[in-house]
Amino acid sequence: MSFEKKVQRLEEIVRALESKDMSLEKGLKLFEEGIACLRDASTELSKAEAAVQVLRERTDGILEATDLRA
Amino acid sequence: MNSRPARPAARSGGRQGGTQGEPDTLALFDDLEVPPAPVAPRPEGRARRPAARSDEPGLSPESAISVATLTLATRDIIEGAVEPLWVRGEVVGLKEHRSGHWYFTLKDENAQIRCVMWASDARRALAAPDEGMTIIALGKLTVFPARGELQLRVLRIDSSGDGLWRKAFEKLRKKLEAEGLFAAERKRPIPMLPACVAVVTSADGAALHDIVSVVSRRCPITQVVVAHAQVQGEDAPKSLVKALHRVARWGKADVVILGRGGGSREDLWAFNDERVVRAAAGMPVPVISAVGHEVDVTLCDLAADLRAATPSAAAEAAVPRLSDLVRHVRRLGADLRDAAMAQVESARERLADVGVAVARAASHPIERRRLALEGIAGRLHALSPLATLARGYAVITDGEGAPVTSVTAVKPGDAIVARLRDGSIHARTERTESSGEEVNE
Repeated sequence: MSFEKKVQRLEEIVRALESKDMSLEKGLKLFEEGIACLRDASTELSKAEAAVQVLRERTDGILEATDLRA
Repeated sequence: MNSRPARPAARSGGRQGGTQGEPDTLALFDDLEVPPAPVAPRPEGRARRPAARSDEPGLSPESAISVATLTLATRDIIEGAVEPLWVRGEVVGLKEHRSGHWYFTLKDENAQIRCVMWASDARRALAAPDEGMTIIALGKLTVFPARGELQLRVLRIDSSGDGLWRKAFEKLRKKLEAEGLFAAERKRPIPMLPACVAVVTSADGAALHDIVSVVSRRCPITQVVVAHAQVQGEDAPKSLVKALHRVARWGKADVVILGRGGGSREDLWAFNDERVVRAAAGMPVPVISAVGHEVDVTLCDLAADLRAATPSAAAEAAVPRLSDLVRHVRRLGADLRDAAMAQVESARERLADVGVAVARAASHPIERRRLALEGIAGRLHALSPLATLARGYAVITDGEGAPVTSVTAVKPGDAIVARLRDGSIHARTERTESSGEEVNE
């Protein structure tokens, strides 16, 4: 799932939990799912800095992204 | 020669143009002897010179030259003497021959000249000029011997002039628009956090530098991948198309920035090339165009999912500010906990009634009942993450493990399980007692 989808799902979950009373079982499931989304989203935001790469086509036709400064 | 040709003359010239052939192919000239180029025109009187020079071509009745020799000699003199020149004039009577050659007359108020543009040159022009359009043409002055006419062999038509450029642009714009290439409903949103941004531009241009610096400032976790392309010159369209295809085939980019820094209208023309526009429109991921020019919109701008005024602006549109996202996600986390807490509070109220019944069923002695109530009301099931949030209740399930949230769900004699922090109580319902409140499920 993309970062965007995770955040959207998290927003949905928060809205659902905020808006109505539900069975505890359902609330619990949603909360657990929300926590998982939150964890995944946070992990993605704390990724390492990326270097600039160049996309080249090798002579055998395979595409390859290599660091610009390399 | 009429020094001030009337309009009908100009029109008739146009008609004749279509029948004109390519001078170089006329067999007529193949066997001509061409006098050496620097034959300066002589005063008429000197042509009738004494017999001493009568053997020279054209200097005596005996050595009279043919008309073809005369016109061809004139052609050579003129071609040798005049460099290609830029000429401004109004286009009249343009004929596009099926061979691809163009014939027309350039005129202004007082003069006109016949023009030819060979297919090989005409192909490179953006569009054929319209009748009456003023153009600026680079042409080599020559003579069309078959008519003995001065003729301008047009090599290039300046495309930076508004008329022709606009015509070619509008023609292609209309065509692509009719195909729906620019339709609003084709526009895709830019992803919230692209893991990879592909940049199709010159690897050593200022545009790339600007984009990289904006991305690394705003969102350093996003990968920038450059697909180098020539952005101006004759090979630019092909090069841009290839780079776009490379990115599409690679498949790892989440968004593409296509562009270059500012340039003249002619410099930006590659971004109006049909092949490039189609390639941009056909990309599997959203495309942001960043052709830096304030005035002119390019067709790539229209085909892109988003148009940015400059490469820097394109980069800002492509990636979010990472700190904003971090703040947003943190806030969502806090909201999630708050909302869960509120849910638990309301569930707790609903469960309290059931808890009373369970406690009674579970234990007769007063002391144990009190403890059970505390256990139910004061702690949440240890298995759930809600435990830390909702110290204060137990989960009651029926014999099948389904949660019991209302007294009406159980009848006297039914088995129930109360799950507490440290285990579960298996009990049988003695009786149920409704508090009289409607419990929402």
